[in-house]
Amino acid sequence: MENIRIVLPEIENIHEIETYISNGGFKAAKKAFSQTPGEIIDQVKKSGLRGRGGAAFSAGLKWSFMPKSTDKPKYLCVNGDESEPGSFKDREVFEKNPHQLIEGTLITCYAIGAKTAYIYIRGEYHKWIKLMQKALDDAYAKGFVGEKMKETFGTDFYCDIYIHKGAGAYICGEESSLMNSIEGKRGYPRVKPPFPAQNGLWGNPTTINNVETIANVPKIIENGWEWYANIGVQKHPGTILYGISGHVNKPGVYELPTGILLTELIFDVAGGVPGNKKIKMVIPGGSSMPPLRGDQLEGVRMDAESLKEAGSAIGTAGVMVMDEDTDILKVLARITKFYYHESCGQCTPCREGTGWMLKTLNRMIEGNATSRDLDLLIEVANNIEGNTICALGDAAAWPVKFTIQRFRDELEQYVKPEVELPIYNKVHSMRETTVPLGVNKR
Amino acid sequence: MPKLTINGREIDFKQGQTVIEAAKDNGIEIPHYCWHPSLSVSGNCRVCLVELEKMPKLVIACSTLAAEGMVVHTQSEKTLQARNAVMEFLLINHPLDCPICDEAGECKLQEYAFDHGYGESRFDEMKNRKEKRVALGPRIMFDGDRCISCSRCIRFSDEIAKATQLTFVQRGDRVTIKTFPGEEFDNPYTLNTVDICPVGALTSRDFRFKARVWDMSETKTICPGCSRGCNIEMWVRNNEILRLTPRENLEVNEYWMCDWGRLNTFKFVNARNRIDGALIRENEVITKVSVEEGISKTAQAIQKYKASQIAFLGSAFATCEDNFSLAKFAKESFSANNIDFIRYVDETNQDDILIKPDKTPNTLGAKSTGIKPGNSGLNIHEIFSEIKKGNIKALFVMEDNPAAISDDYKNALKKLELLIVLSVNENETTELADIVLPAAAYAEKNGTFINFEGRLQRIRPAVVTQNMERSLDGMSMSRLDKFGTKYDSWASGHRVDAQPSWKLISMLSQKLGGKINYQTAEDVFDDLVKSNKEFSGLDYDIIGEKGTQLDSFIKVKETV
Amino acid sequence: MSFKFTEENLNRIQESRKKYPTALAAVMDTLWIAQDQNGYITNEVMEEIASVLGIDKVLVLSAATFYTMYHKKPMGKHHIQVCTNVSCMLRGGYEIWKQIKEKYGIDNLGVTDDGQISIEEVECMGACGYAPMIAINEDYYEDLTKEKVEEILGTLK
Repeated sequence: MENIRIVLPEIENIHEIETYISNGGFKAAKKAFSQTPGEIIDQVKKSGLRGRGGAAFSAGLKWSFMPKSTDKPKYLCVNGDESEPGSFKDREVFEKNPHQLIEGTLITCYAIGAKTAYIYIRGEYHKWIKLMQKALDDAYAKGFVGEKMKETFGTDFYCDIYIHKGAGAYICGEESSLMNSIEGKRGYPRVKPPFPAQNGLWGNPTTINNVETIANVPKIIENGWEWYANIGVQKHPGTILYGISGHVNKPGVYELPTGILLTELIFDVAGGVPGNKKIKMVIPGGSSMPPLRGDQLEGVRMDAESLKEAGSAIGTAGVMVMDEDTDILKVLARITKFYYHESCGQCTPCREGTGWMLKTLNRMIEGNATSRDLDLLIEVANNIEGNTICALGDAAAWPVKFTIQRFRDELEQYVKPEVELPIYNKVHSMRETTVPLGVNKR
Repeated sequence: MPKLTINGREIDFKQGQTVIEAAKDNGIEIPHYCWHPSLSVSGNCRVCLVELEKMPKLVIACSTLAAEGMVVHTQSEKTLQARNAVMEFLLINHPLDCPICDEAGECKLQEYAFDHGYGESRFDEMKNRKEKRVALGPRIMFDGDRCISCSRCIRFSDEIAKATQLTFVQRGDRVTIKTFPGEEFDNPYTLNTVDICPVGALTSRDFRFKARVWDMSETKTICPGCSRGCNIEMWVRNNEILRLTPRENLEVNEYWMCDWGRLNTFKFVNARNRIDGALIRENEVITKVSVEEGISKTAQAIQKYKASQIAFLGSAFATCEDNFSLAKFAKESFSANNIDFIRYVDETNQDDILIKPDKTPNTLGAKSTGIKPGNSGLNIHEIFSEIKKGNIKALFVMEDNPAAISDDYKNALKKLELLIVLSVNENETTELADIVLPAAAYAEKNGTFINFEGRLQRIRPAVVTQNMERSLDGMSMSRLDKFGTKYDSWASGHRVDAQPSWKLISMLSQKLGGKINYQTAEDVFDDLVKSNKEFSGLDYDIIGEKGTQLDSFIKVKETV
Repeated sequence: MSFKFTEENLNRIQESRKKYPTALAAVMDTLWIAQDQNGYITNEVMEEIASVLGIDKVLVLSAATFYTMYHKKPMGKHHIQVCTNVSCMLRGGYEIWKQIKEKYGIDNLGVTDDGQISIEEVECMGACGYAPMIAINEDYYEDLTKEKVEEILGTLK
């Protein structure tokens, strides 16, 4: 295993600005400012850096969507809302290497032409907000951020960085609701198109990148795109901050190259399963990603393409491991409760569908469901998927759909051939009156 | 023009239009709840999901820009599947209270459930419950259970009424609509949210539980509440007006009307204090007589006055036809020059949305049809000062109430030898009148108004008087009107013994040997067209349902 | 009961206001500042925020009811938040939630009679690798066992 650290270097006190500077900090920014924004975008594109927030979209390509000639102010949002269950990596960056995040923010602002960046941090992270604010204050004081940058770096370019504190809403990790939240509104996702690069914060061109993505940028500039492109797998290069939780002996965040075997991650890096139990289920990328059965793990590598092939997705690389004694139904109901709780309520399928799935799963836990309810759950999930404004709909649908598909035998143990439902259900269940689709035209 | 294909049919669209707009312009309806042509796009209901060829996912027609060569399917299997899914989601928590819901019959949820519903319920869980019967404001009642969170009311308040008073609160399926605690949803336009609410979540406190919508007739007419002349539908059951709703006219009121106009311009028609037959005062005793006898008495009483002794008040509340008839009558039978009308302008009550300071519907119409002082004739102020001096001895008032203007006017009226009033309701002036002739209300007659910017618009009868027949007069009919008999309680609504003012004047002219002899409002209008070039070339058909801009007022339009 | 920001907090609001081109954008920071001062968000607090920022009151309500960390009623001096989401659940999150509910005899969002303690079952707090966890006010306590929880709760004064 290569020991390459990009985002979380093993340097003591690197979170302090003096240490950061003495280890070459802000040199990448200076190097970047001596080139054109186009050249920076080009290098990041060639490096192959892909978003670490879930979608694994090319960062350089995203930046290139920003309009070059516009009178409007441009913005960068750094997404540190980190709320997907199983994800707890960005707080490591805030705590252990905040200045690299700041430097990455400066370079990104320069590349896209933004004068203002907001680092959105979830409200629960009081401690990390304070740490990040301290780092930012220090960087301002030393002239690395704000108008003094002109002097420090000897350029015309400067930008401001502010922290925006969330207040408890998973949905704000979705880029357009994050922008609404910064604007002081309810965190409702926006209808796309228009995309943020055209119509973002206050209607202006905006780029949104994950904290970890931005934290990679200084090293790409410093060491060159070729260096970065050769780390990990070719199509999804670099390192990833893998967050491993659940039934493992050494849970935590580990920075390792992309493409590492999932089994290696679980058994070697995270020390295996307590009591050497078998694994029943692994969710490889945060709770919204399709779960894998214990017998589906062999040979699966941790990068976007490999996981897609394996029937899941890299997501935030938050790996949740569940041993053989885990109650899959309770896990599924708990995940569904989360998405129900966090559905913003704006669009119909997610607002109504998450509650429906949760009610049915709870009824199943009470022992009051039939096999038909499992089929119905899949249909409800399918009816949510792809029909919503944002990806929360899919995030709520996938765990239900794939868990039932992949753990059907086990879930069948919870259902009865027939159940007696309360009277309120019968009133509006008219199953014999089905009219085929599209026939009942006026 | 660029073209796209919907369901195999090639249609034109304007650059910048969305798919739903292009479809609508070509008569293809794509189901929608949250989309409204004059509100911002929110894209939340998802019922307008359609399939685009070469796109992996369905798109919402309300936010997708039409593009050259685009191929849209609104009835494909994928589209129907998604639409059925959205309908099912909307219905699982929706209460089954359609039998007592005011929206029933005009509910989009009902309509699309009928068109696109599964036809069965697969929902075996308890429905969510939210707050019911919440008085959001003085005129609006909210039912949280029925709300489908389309946000139309919120967007309307923000964007059209310019009053940020409503918001969603909470999240997920707990979302509901609220005002700030202790505050009322009370802007001047709140009732429009009832119209645009696709379900029965917002109901009018004035109208709720008054009628099933299919039991009312609808008549296209004009609100007389101010000089805007909002286009409206008048809803009548059992010959009683129950509600007014705005009617689309992008040139005048878009889709809206103000709450004041909606609630205060029809109740006087239904009121108990209608002038119902003519009233004659003799020796301080008031006798009710037939209209014909009232006309004879009027003719006898009025004929002795010379032009210098008599004055005529037209009215900006009356139609062009009424005013034209009056002006013509005054000149023909009396060579009168003392003709004018009272203005009702309140500069403190206006906005830049719909409400105009002129609180009458037809000021320009009264002016254009000859209601103004003739050669050395007296204007309204001079008329009253000459009454006080005793020089003007007889006053003919059409559809106005000068006694309510001031004590000064009221006292002046008491000095008259003869006061003839054509009136819809009893009022301060009819109390002083020697003869009161029953005028049909604007809801009971044909006619035209000219709005503040010179747009000529038609009013139509929705309520029948004793001299009218709903079916024979080509009026709008409700289900009950069509199938009811005079023995049915719902078909026995009261009919007032009244006539349009132009008709009363025409009858009076005949009695006095004059030449005015109109049978219909249209006759009056045609005569007006012949005698006044401002109206040349027009007829009722040309004016149509949405009115027509008079050329002579184009400058007026440009300056307002 | 009227609410007024302290001079110091008014300055904090002014600082926040400078971060954004619109006043509305400062509403989240201002709600936080108000909660710092008042403990929870009341109608009077929202009215004062609207007035200080010069925005419509209903917009303050709109934001305050969307984000779950703004309390709409008084919470305990020590607000204990227990994560029961999957990673914590797998490592005993629900046992700790039960332990805490029983210890104080209150349910979700309940407050003890003396106003010292309130408890809340929360969604994922981003401490999955250090599960199970609780947070008391702003501080995280991670890698817990029932014994550790008992110890931590014992130190609350």
